[in-house]
Amino acid sequence: MKVNQILMSGIAVLAAATMAVAAPGGGTVSGKVTYEGTPAKQKPIDMSKEPSCAKAHATPITTEAVVTGEGNTLENVVVYISAGAPDGATAPAQAVTITQRGCQYVPHLVALQVNQELKVVNEDQTSHNIHPLAKANREWNKSQPPGSPAFTEKFDKEEFIPVKCNIHPWMHSTFAVMKTSHYSVTAGNGGFTLPNLPPGKYTITAWHESYGTQTQDVTITGSETKTISFVFKAKPY
Amino acid sequence: MNTKVPSKWVLWLSALAILALPSAAAAQESHIGKLTGHASSGKELYRRFCIGCHGPRGDGQGENAPYVTPQPRNFVAATFKCRSTVTGTLPTDEDLFNAVTRGFNTTNMPSWEPLTPQQRADLVAYIKTFSERWKNEKPGTPIEVPAETAVTVESINHGKELFQKLECWKCHGPEGRGDGPSASTLTDSNDQPIRPYNFSVGTRFKCGTTNQDLYKIFITGVDGTPMPSFADVIKPNEAWDLVHYLRTLQVTRKGPESEFMKAKGGSTKAADKSGK
Amino acid sequence: MLFRASKETGNMRAVHSSFRSSAFLVAAILLGSMLLQPEADAIPAFARKYGLPCSACHEAWPKLNNFGQTFKDNGYQLGNDRDAPIWQQPTYWPIALRMTPNWHREGADHMAVYDPATDSIINQGITTHGFDLSGMDMLTAGTLAKNISFLLVPSADNEGAFHFESASVRFSNLLKTSWLNAKVGKFELDNMVSEKRIMTLSNNGGLFQLYHFLPAGDYQASGDPNFVGFGLGDNQLGVEVSGHSKNDYTRYSVAVLSSNDGNVNLPTSRGYDTYLTFSQAFNAGSMGLQRVGAYAYVGQAPTIFLTDGVNVIPGAGTGNEKFYRTGFFGMWYLKKLDFTTMFMHGSESAYLYSGTPAGQTLPLGAQAPKWNGGWVETHYTVNPQLIILQRYEVIRMSQQGNSANASNYGDMDSLTFGYRYYPFMTSRAGFAFHNEYSRVRQRGTSPIPGLDLTTSSVFLGFDFIF
Repeated sequence: MKVNQILMSGIAVLAAATMAVAAPGGGTVSGKVTYEGTPAKQKPIDMSKEPSCAKAHATPITTEAVVTGEGNTLENVVVYISAGAPDGATAPAQAVTITQRGCQYVPHLVALQVNQELKVVNEDQTSHNIHPLAKANREWNKSQPPGSPAFTEKFDKEEFIPVKCNIHPWMHSTFAVMKTSHYSVTAGNGGFTLPNLPPGKYTITAWHESYGTQTQDVTITGSETKTISFVFKAKPY
Repeated sequence: MNTKVPSKWVLWLSALAILALPSAAAAQESHIGKLTGHASSGKELYRRFCIGCHGPRGDGQGENAPYVTPQPRNFVAATFKCRSTVTGTLPTDEDLFNAVTRGFNTTNMPSWEPLTPQQRADLVAYIKTFSERWKNEKPGTPIEVPAETAVTVESINHGKELFQKLECWKCHGPEGRGDGPSASTLTDSNDQPIRPYNFSVGTRFKCGTTNQDLYKIFITGVDGTPMPSFADVIKPNEAWDLVHYLRTLQVTRKGPESEFMKAKGGSTKAADKSGK
Repeated sequence: MLFRASKETGNMRAVHSSFRSSAFLVAAILLGSMLLQPEADAIPAFARKYGLPCSACHEAWPKLNNFGQTFKDNGYQLGNDRDAPIWQQPTYWPIALRMTPNWHREGADHMAVYDPATDSIINQGITTHGFDLSGMDMLTAGTLAKNISFLLVPSADNEGAFHFESASVRFSNLLKTSWLNAKVGKFELDNMVSEKRIMTLSNNGGLFQLYHFLPAGDYQASGDPNFVGFGLGDNQLGVEVSGHSKNDYTRYSVAVLSSNDGNVNLPTSRGYDTYLTFSQAFNAGSMGLQRVGAYAYVGQAPTIFLTDGVNVIPGAGTGNEKFYRTGFFGMWYLKKLDFTTMFMHGSESAYLYSGTPAGQTLPLGAQAPKWNGGWVETHYTVNPQLIILQRYEVIRMSQQGNSANASNYGDMDSLTFGYRYYPFMTSRAGFAFHNEYSRVRQRGTSPIPGLDLTTSSVFLGFDFIF
């Protein structure tokens, strides 16, 4: 076992070194994610069973399975390099945070790297349980009553993990655990940017919780910016 | 040394042996106290006893799985309900052995106590071969269960406050009848409907019968179900208070807690008055 | 079978009548107890209810393993608060049917046959063979409510005549302890080595001779309906209190039974018998579970029958005379190989043996017969789908019921071997290809005076239960 560990840490050191060389400069892939067709109408959420959360929303809120912007842009799409990027990127030291606020997950989707810390915060006056329904990673389920401190967790395998709060069945999120450090989550304008790509051939994948995945191949030769776009077919149901 | 095997091969082979043997052997065995279970023996026993529900591949898709509620455990996913270890970690061999021995009340999984301890240990060793996780991960560290505190009015009342504060009632209901506001919406990790435990019926818990078992259930959570772990949010002493209160919700069960309540005048309300 | 034996001889029209009846009597003594065909409690209704394969409860169907024995001893409950019928699909019916279409060959060496050429009785062997049916068992069993279970087995012989082989209600876990259970009705005696779950099926091998043995020449086997005889393998009517440890390692039972060998309508008796059993299992690590036990049956049967001048008044037998069976047994596991060892000592009153009313003078030479017997049965369970088995059974008279008899008169040796192959193993139905040879030799009981009688059976059948 000891030999095993030494070997493993050796590989880790090597990987870190390659990353350090590859990181700055290089080309950029950017673009926009849109949809065509009619996306499903998002249903209003009835929070009457949880008055403390209902109070937090001046206007009724809806589910967030599909969130769109002006010009048919699609929010909450994870765009990442699924092939071509050097593997074994070390996780950044800073944690990403997901906050339970008004019985919603903020942000709705969290992308993070393998072994990067995820900080879970509860700002509500009610208990939540955070239950990532992981398959490749460990499935855990933790209670977080109001006023309890934030906790951190890590995931050690690449996976799109659906997350729910069993107490509040409308609460859904996704933890997008990435092997690569090259990923971007679209905001309201549907835009994404993957900078600092050394020359090479890449497969870019866009993932959406309702519409699945799309891929495109891109070749970077120098420090140019390649623009690509993804168009998802929206289904009205 | 007059050998024809090149020395570098010897080195390679011994290196391989060191790398491969411990993990492979550990995954093929189980250790429960002085017992060592062997997957090779467990395989035959699995075929004899378990295959109808858990299936030949251990994925919980045996020929009877469609008729079994709740669904048989999927050993490939390696998520286990009853553990002494923190949420998300693999259970210990003892945890699995105890589960096989105890069975799961209100499910199709019977108690296999009529099998010899050796047979049960062999089965534990075999079901660990279905998931790679047993090769790549170590079981979690068992949580510590401190000595139980005394059953007092204060303890029971504090437990009741915790039941409110931690919002156990959201699922389990204000009187522990399994009828909380979220109860009807609950699903397990396979999207199958699941009901929260109804304390008033007083049946055995799936994960054991003792106060220590009850302590472990809410501290470690019941993985694969909506029941989360409260390990980070409840202190050991408070956890015992909650245990004492939960026992009083099992109104049909005779136990020191309910006896205590009876002696104090019956209801928690009476206890409230004397306690405050 | 008795029926078959009479038919076979009956078909030979020229049989001299007196010899015919004596051959009949011998056949009755030898095989009389086989009238009640062993019913086997292998019940796919349970497998269907719980989703467990047959092999979970049966070492090889129908032989129980400790898990199945515990399930039975818990009153057909797994103990998960899901046993009561209220938890079952409304369409679920706890019924299983068992039958065994077969081909068999029966041989007997020293039979008495009339020879028209010489107008005399000659000593001749007889062999018959052909396709045949076994009897049929309808096994219905299950729970009526938590801790109340039932077993009802209407059983037909191979001509469709029904009787109630078993019919009992059981109250389990009285006082919330597995140490106290009670059963009322007609049931198999609490024999750990159960003849109802015997692994052999042929005419000669399909029963434990010892469980039905009556000494050669016993009046109780003469066909007099007032003398019903006794067999430890016969289901009896009564009440049984039993208990066991949680894992079933320790077991006991005490039963009080009507003294009429399980016959309904109180045909003869106003007495009661007692049966006691105890067994203890030991865990021998990877070898498996070893069990030893002891049993004792003390019974009585009437010898005087009140009449209305012509007919016997039913149930009004008096002048009870004693009989008993006692012994011990072991079940030994060496991984896939297991042995069942059985010892029995039996005895009965000289009045019963000779059919003499109590208090009257015994016929000359009549005395209480005593005998010892035992067997070793070996199973090699290759896997849950194939079991190879053999049994050697011995019965020796230690005291003849008639001092004029030869000391070895009625001694019996029985050898059986075979295998059962289960082509599939599911929790829906049981199916086995069964092949067996069996041979029984009894001293001095040939219809030809002074000769031994050896009978043999070859059996090939498809044993199915659904």
